[in-house]
Amino acid sequence: MATVKLTNVKKIYDKHVVAVQDFNLEIADKEFVVFVGPSGCGKSTTLRMIAGLEDISEGTIEIDGEVVNDLQPKDRNIAMVFQNYALYPHMTVYDNIAFSLRLKKTPEDIVYDKVTKAAEILGITDYLLRKPKALSGGQRQRVAIGRAMVRDSKVFLMDEPLSNLDAKLRNQMRAEIIQLREKIDTTFVYVTHDQTEAMTLGDRIVIMKDGYIQQVGSPMDVFEKPVNLFVAEFIGAPKMNIMDAELIVEDGKYYVHLLGAKIPVDGFKGELLKERNVAPGKIKLGIRPEHLTLTAEKSEKSFECQLQVNEMMGSELHLHVVLSDGEKMIARIPTINLAPEQRAGLVAGCTFCITAEGKAMHFFDAETEKNLIFD
Amino acid sequence: MTKYTELEYLKLSKWRKFLYKIACFFVGIPGWFVNLFKKIGSAFKDFGISVKDDFVDIFTTFKNGDYKTRLSFVIMGFGSIARGQILRGVLFLLFELVFIVYMIFWGGYWISMLPSLGTQGAIKEYDPIYDTYVTTYYDDSFKILLYGILTIFFIVAFLYTWRLNVKQNAIAEEILKSGKPLKGTKDDLKSLVDEQFHKTLLALPLTGILVFTVMPMIFMILVAFTNYSGEFDGKNNLFSWVGLENFNQMLGWSAGGVNYAATFGEVLAWTLIWAFFATFTNYFLGMLVAMMINKKGIRLKKVWRTILIVTIAVPQFISLLYVSKMFAQDGLVNGMLLDWGWIDKALPFWTDSTWARVMVIVINIWIGIPYLMLIATGILMNIPQDLYESAKIDGANAFQQYTKITLPYMLFVTGPYLLTSFISNMNNFNVIYLLTGGAPTNAAALSPGGSLGYTDLLITWLFKIAINDSKFYMASVIGILVFIVVSVISLIVYSLLPSTRNEEDFQ
Amino acid sequence: MSEMNQLETPEVESKPKKRHMGIKTQRVISNTIIHILLVIMSVVWLVPFVCIVLQSFRVESTWQVGYIVPQKWGFDNYIALTKTDFFTWYLNTFIIAVFTALFQTIVVLCMSYTLSRFRFRGRKGLMRFMLIIGMFPGMLSMIILYRILADLHLTQGNAVPGLILVYVASSGMGYYVSKGFFDTIPKSLDEAARVDGATRMQVLFKIILPLAKPIVIYTILTAFMAPWADFVFARYISMNTSQGMNVAVGLYSWLNKDQIAGKYTTFCAGGVLVAIPVTVLFMFLQKYYVSGVTGGAVKG
Repeated sequence: MATVKLTNVKKIYDKHVVAVQDFNLEIADKEFVVFVGPSGCGKSTTLRMIAGLEDISEGTIEIDGEVVNDLQPKDRNIAMVFQNYALYPHMTVYDNIAFSLRLKKTPEDIVYDKVTKAAEILGITDYLLRKPKALSGGQRQRVAIGRAMVRDSKVFLMDEPLSNLDAKLRNQMRAEIIQLREKIDTTFVYVTHDQTEAMTLGDRIVIMKDGYIQQVGSPMDVFEKPVNLFVAEFIGAPKMNIMDAELIVEDGKYYVHLLGAKIPVDGFKGELLKERNVAPGKIKLGIRPEHLTLTAEKSEKSFECQLQVNEMMGSELHLHVVLSDGEKMIARIPTINLAPEQRAGLVAGCTFCITAEGKAMHFFDAETEKNLIFD
Repeated sequence: MTKYTELEYLKLSKWRKFLYKIACFFVGIPGWFVNLFKKIGSAFKDFGISVKDDFVDIFTTFKNGDYKTRLSFVIMGFGSIARGQILRGVLFLLFELVFIVYMIFWGGYWISMLPSLGTQGAIKEYDPIYDTYVTTYYDDSFKILLYGILTIFFIVAFLYTWRLNVKQNAIAEEILKSGKPLKGTKDDLKSLVDEQFHKTLLALPLTGILVFTVMPMIFMILVAFTNYSGEFDGKNNLFSWVGLENFNQMLGWSAGGVNYAATFGEVLAWTLIWAFFATFTNYFLGMLVAMMINKKGIRLKKVWRTILIVTIAVPQFISLLYVSKMFAQDGLVNGMLLDWGWIDKALPFWTDSTWARVMVIVINIWIGIPYLMLIATGILMNIPQDLYESAKIDGANAFQQYTKITLPYMLFVTGPYLLTSFISNMNNFNVIYLLTGGAPTNAAALSPGGSLGYTDLLITWLFKIAINDSKFYMASVIGILVFIVVSVISLIVYSLLPSTRNEEDFQ
Repeated sequence: MSEMNQLETPEVESKPKKRHMGIKTQRVISNTIIHILLVIMSVVWLVPFVCIVLQSFRVESTWQVGYIVPQKWGFDNYIALTKTDFFTWYLNTFIIAVFTALFQTIVVLCMSYTLSRFRFRGRKGLMRFMLIIGMFPGMLSMIILYRILADLHLTQGNAVPGLILVYVASSGMGYYVSKGFFDTIPKSLDEAARVDGATRMQVLFKIILPLAKPIVIYTILTAFMAPWADFVFARYISMNTSQGMNVAVGLYSWLNKDQIAGKYTTFCAGGVLVAIPVTVLFMFLQKYYVSGVTGGAVKG
């Protein structure tokens, strides 16, 4: 139960390769923070610096108010779950979980209580005398978590713990981690490259790219108010459609010029544009696939497109379309709103019109790719 | 004894867990033996059944076969030729002819002589005309034994081929009955580079092994039951079967007479001690060196490694002989130490038994570490790094990481290697022979031949008995005893190894 | 109260938190110690070889002396070599090494490839059988092999072909390392090629051998190096006939009690000449040797 504070943390390899740039973050007690980003963005390195497995090149890391830069991993009072589980292959499950306790010279009866308790929570009591080799991926994962659980540590670190599991098991374990969190009730730092995991697990998400923090915020924040193009595209699946468009002002009202359509930006987004006094001109326009709607006829607010691929997902259709300027985009259309004959008409090659509302639009600077209304 | 469930077992104290395991082990022993005997029994039963099946098969083939098949029982390959499988048939037939000719002209003689190993030895007669002794040679026990074994090989091969010939007929009839065409000569040749390619590949290597390894081995095993020696060499003086007499002498079963049991025990003990130290000093120190070189932050890794590897390249006889002379009474080391005034008289590196024994082990470390360093490096690099990271977080210090992770992992992976290296150290002729030649001499020991020294292993002792004194029969006895010791050790270790890895795991 | 809190126990040891020496300082100290140890080790390992080279250039005495650096340098010992049979031995050994390397590699590859790839009846039994006969001290076979080779007139002066024959014939036993290597080549490659219509032989020559270059080189290298060091067998087969000796046997004879005083430094010179080509070759092919050794130990 502790806070973690990273101040100006930097990681430099071989004197010039910078893996983590000026990382500042304060993690509150019992908070669940997820570091997310594409591979090579420095998220794992940051986690490993918190764990003490990597030297900190510059800056300080504090756990519970104490600077831990010079502490050995074992003295930092942390627990960690590794991507490949890192189970000791020559020890039984019981010995694996008991390992850290025994190193602390804990009496055997207490070791027994703790290990069996943890095993019970994780449902691996039947496998205690087996070696890791005899376990399935999910069971190994549980053992790895169990090993971290019994340590009663201040901070619980998880480095892509689900990435070695198949899709079905991953969903299941994700739910279990959410439950587990209620039972363990400690500070979590979780690293993943999967935005779904990040959105579902985290109290706060730290999105990283090339060693820089892009945005820190709650799942809702980063989804609705991405500070730049990278975050906007990274969060959400399928990813946000980005188009070149022009922002124009007429009579004090903002419009978006897109492929001949002129869509008014009304609602709170329009207010914000006005408030910020955003200059009209070329912009990058972002619209999430689920915010696009089909329209029957061509109107001033809609634009034409041609269907390339129609992916039927059950509750919705993913329509891959190509626009008149050759750009591609994806629209997610709930099937429930479509009449059967409408659905049948959606075959490759057909053309139709789509539109989006102003409040669903994201506006980014064409040069800096920063969000024009949120930061 | 109470059986514990898993959870109950886990609740036991360390000490009781250990006792429980031991108890389980002992309780399990009878079952283990029962299993073993069952296995042996069923192996015999299987063998009996397969022999019976074979005979039944041969009989039914004869009964149900056409005349081609029946004639093949006498004239091998007849059926195949008659059915158009010319190549097979001709080969069968040729083999039969060669066999018959060989047995009539030579084989019969060798086999008939085998029980006696020759009846008429060489005769030395005075030839009054030329006033000299003339030796006329008759039977040669050596050749009788050698060719006797070969003839038995040949007979076995013939029986196998005959059986094959019968089976071929049965198969051919079956195929013809089902209306398919038979494989002709062309197909036979083709299959030798395809489905039967393994036979082509193995033919030469296995023949080599059979003739130059297996046959000599059988011969030498049999020699242990004869009195073959420099004196009774078979040609000039026949040698003969003596039963277990040589084993009696070596192991002291018979009361009275000369026996070498005490000496054998002494040499065996030193051989085991040597093998133990030679294996484990190298193993642990090699691992240590590898870990030192691999440690993060160590510079010039390549240089250190290369320096050690170069020493592997230099032929051992040069380095060992040179080092041996370096430590001689009048050698470089003693010379320098005397010069510097560190010692008053030369150190007895090779002349004192304890010094010599320690020295061979130390120098063996010098020889062995580079090699072990290589092996250990390979394995250490395979240990997943996250195991160490996890252990660090779990609170293990460097030493605990070594004892709890590195060492178990290494032992786990290198178990079979340790066993083979222990065995090859038991038979490490080169190091002992080139360094000390067995010296210093153990005058008190009773040896059937050769001068036995304090650093002599069984293998060098055997060499001396055989080569210096030509007591081949005694050398064979020691060879057989070494074989027994080695196989017993291997059996025990193999059954104790945590996991014999499945070879398919790697594919 | 969370469930895990119930697990919490009174602190077993309540030591005051001690601050360790910084991770970095600790590492610097331990690394320095290790560097020193490595330097010492390198010296210990290299000294005998440096000595042997230095002594081969020593002129003032042909017997051992109590110092390392010669007082008078010269090529006398190397010149002395030309007056002995040394170069006959050298040539013998070279011929043996070349032929053994060639044939032994073929034999070992046939053996290991077959045992790795084919699943035929009796395969397991064959491997077990070879394991067992491998436990029998091979030295004993020398006695009878000598008699057989003598009958074939392949001993003494003719020891060279005899030795090649014996080395090659028994080399099939040493298939473990390369079998281990072949085992790591995925079987699906064979299967794919077979589906594409290749015969077993084509699979070997077109698919496996090109992939097996490291192990082929390893086999050649070890087969080539072994004859330079074989001493026991070569001595017995050549039976005191200088014509048929290899370098190991020949040089060993100079260290007899009656020869050593006059031949000691010549021995050093001969040793240097033997070690140089083998070592140079080894250094070039080092990487293959290392991969063979490390792979073999784990899979063996």
